[in-house]
Parts: sequence; C-alpha cells; structure tokens
Amino acid sequence: MEHSKQTQFGSSDKKDAGTSSVVNGHCDGMVKRPAGGPSQPPAAESGSQRPVMESWREDRTRSVEDNEISLPSLAAAYTTILRGLGDDPQRQGLLKTPWRAATAMQFFTKGYQEKLIDVLNDAIFDEDHDEMVIVKDIDMFSMCEHHLVPIFGRVHIGYLPNKRVLGLSKLARIVEIYSRRLQVQERLTKQIAVAITEALQPTGVGVVIEATHMCMVMRGVQKMNSKTITSTMLGVFREDPKTRDEFLTLIRS
Amino acid sequence: MNGHCNVKVNDTVEEFHSNNSFSDLLIDSKKSVVHRKHETSRKKDEDQSRLPALEAAYTSILRELGEDTDRQGLLRTPLRAAKAMQFLTKGYHETIEDILNNAIFDEDHDEMVIVKNIDVFSLCEHHLVPFFGKVHIGYIPNKKVVGLSKLARIVEIFSRRLQVQERLTKQIAVGISEALQPKGVAVVIEASHMCMVMRGVQKMNSRTVTSAMLGVYLEDPKTREEFLTLSRSA
Repeated sequence: MEHSKQTQFGSSDKKDAGTSSVVNGHCDGMVKRPAGGPSQPPAAESGSQRPVMESWREDRTRSVEDNEISLPSLAAAYTTILRGLGDDPQRQGLLKTPWRAATAMQFFTKGYQEKLIDVLNDAIFDEDHDEMVIVKDIDMFSMCEHHLVPIFGRVHIGYLPNKRVLGLSKLARIVEIYSRRLQVQERLTKQIAVAITEALQPTGVGVVIEATHMCMVMRGVQKMNSKTITSTMLGVFREDPKTRDEFLTLIRS
Repeated sequence: MNGHCNVKVNDTVEEFHSNNSFSDLLIDSKKSVVHRKHETSRKKDEDQSRLPALEAAYTSILRELGEDTDRQGLLRTPLRAAKAMQFLTKGYHETIEDILNNAIFDEDHDEMVIVKNIDVFSLCEHHLVPFFGKVHIGYIPNKKVVGLSKLARIVEIFSRRLQVQERLTKQIAVGISEALQPKGVAVVIEASHMCMVMRGVQKMNSRTVTSAMLGVYLEDPKTREEFLTLSRSA
C-alpha cells in the first residue's frame, strides 16, 4: 500500500517533470526518478542509507549514434550561419569549417551523453576518514546557454566523507559531465554538488566556481577582467559556519 | 554634423571654407559623411534581414545537440546567439577609411611609437570558437602620426571576423602601412586559442605568438630588437 501510494506520487512527479522544469536532465537539482521510485527532497537532507543506484537513472538525452546521425544537419546549419554572416563558405579556410564546428559543438556538449554512474566507475571506497577532502583548481569549460559562447574557469570542491571516499579524479569527471553542456553557472554549481551528494552521501559538500564569461568579455558590456563566482554548500558546510570557513580558506591558499 | 547633412548649411560652410583654402578637406569630409551614413544604414539593414536565417540555423543546432528548445533558458537563445555572432563578425562591415576619421596628424616625429597590450578577441575560422590575447603594435612615423586609439580600432576591424592568427597579424600591419605610409610597422600577437584549450589537444596554458614586420623593422635587426624589448617590458 505504502508502495502504491509512492508509485502514484512518483509517477505524477515524473509527469510534472516532463512538462515543466526538465533542465539538462535534472529537475531543479532533484533527479528525475523513474515511476515507482520514492520521491525525496535533495539527498543532503536525508541521511538514509537507501541504495545509491536507484536515483541515478537519469535519462541520457543523447547517444554516440545520435551524434553521427545529427552531424549532417548540424553542418548544414553552420553553412547557413557562415553565409548569413556574409562570408564565403567556399573559400579554402572555410571549406570544412561546418563539419569541424559541428564536431566541436558536439564535443562541447558531450555532457549530455554521459551518466554519473558510468563515470564513477565504482571508485567509491570505504575509508575511515572524516576530515575534509578538497580538490581545487579544476579547470572547467562550459558553454553559456544564452549566447552559445564559452565560459571557462576553475572549480573548487570540498566534501566531508561519511566513511566513504571517492576517487579524486572522479570529482573532476563529475565536473566534466555537467560543464560540457549548455549551462548557467548557478545551475552548474548546484548540479555538481548534488551529484557528489548522491554518489557518496557525505556529511557535507561545498562547491565554488570562479569563471570568466566570454559573453561579457567579448561582447555586450566588454569587461575584460570580470569574474563570476558562485557556490553551493550542502549539509554540514551549510549549517556550520566554521566548516565553511575552513573550506573557503583552504581553497584560497 | 553627426551625419545629418542639411545641404543648405553645408553649402554655406563650403563657400566659407573654400575662401580660406580648406576646400579640399571639407569636400572630402562631406563626401565621406554622406557615404558613411549611407553605408551604415545599409549594413544595419543587412544584418537585420539576415537575422531570421541565422536564428533558424541556431534553433536547428540546439535541437540536433539534444537540447529542449522550449525550456525557459533556451527560448530566446537562437536570437541572442545570432546577434552575438553578428557582433563578433562586425569587422566585415568596417573599412579603415571609416574608422580613421581623419585622425592623421603631421608631427615632426621619427622615433618609435608603441601601443601595447591591446586586448584582441577573434573567432577561429576553422572551428568557430574564440581566440583571444594581446596585440602589441609599433611603428616609426614618416612625418605623419595617427591617433593612438585608431591603432586599437584597426585591430578591432580585422579581429572581429573569422580569422586565422597569421592572417590577422598581417592584415593589421598592412592596414597601418597603407593608412600612414610609415617607415616601418611591427605587430606581435600573443593569443590563446579555445579550439586548442577547450577541445582537441586540451592544452590549457598554450599560447600562439605571431608577428609581422614591415619596412625598417624587417630590414634592421636593431630596430626590431628595440621594439620587442619595449613591448615585453612590464
């Protein structure tokens, strides 16, 4: 009975997700749950030991085969763009540009093909460690979803393990999945934090991103030295100011 | 007169100035003002008329990449991206005559003039991805100096296009050469190419340096050295 109630709730939740806020495969920081799965608030607030697998069934919006299939139409679109800008797509330098640009764009959005569970590769280990772990200065490259122009910067991640630690490069790979998409910096920060939380159920996670937006530097206001900083603090990083302080100090040093 | 040519006023002014032997200058500027105005309005219209096709192309790109074009963040993205792209390639519409604005002055100066650390942003013509860096320009005037900001404006004309860094360097050097006929021009560009940093080899710290030396900078190694030293110093 309990289960059927949940199923109902779960499926209506999914319907909602379908019509409104399906964003980059993530619903406002909550993961799309398959019908029948329990619907819960962001994992950080619940300390339950439910199996992690369940919540990672995010649908990929793209596959490697899709890439091959969509390449010709992408290239055609880029040819139109070149013509529309007043350049000559037949000149030597631009002959293969539509194809190169299309492949480049697919690379810049390859995050849509990747799923958290694949990337983590089971690199979660039981370690009796409950001090802060920080990986900082992770180079990040993303695309602004409003202007389709690059964003680049650095990500600093810190977490307090709850008896389970993650392979360090997996933190960088998590950054890659979510940054190689059409993004908004605020959402990117949150998605990284939520993903780590779901993978590990740590005591707390902190993510800080410092980035330069080409849409502000190359066009528009044209402020060369501006940087945008966003952060997400979950769990004990949010509740305890001293922990947060320690994290912020360590990433600055 | 800000591009508003009230013919009557101009005639009167012309009469006055031709009596004072400024006629050459004035006729020139009158022609170029009219010419400029006409050109500007044509360019704006061109851009406007091409916008729908660009928008449609971007919408198709977003869909093919697997994104949902109806979600809030992407609703107006095709329009914004099309306008951004037009801005980033606005150099195609501009010519040196336009921007020089007659800012060439007779100065009895024949020592090197350097303007360095000019931020430059361009688009790689092979991948349509930005590359950006700094330009250092030096020239030795031949009795004619140019307004300093005009050097930066010349950089803008040629950089706001689909470019290859080698060609960009050369175009800037040749542009200055033709405008001023100086004794020599040197241009050095140091840039970071996103097509190498964000994709492909993914080398974050790589920089590409290209240079173009014309006139006395090409012939005399000492002059070249002086320029390179001065443009590098902090």
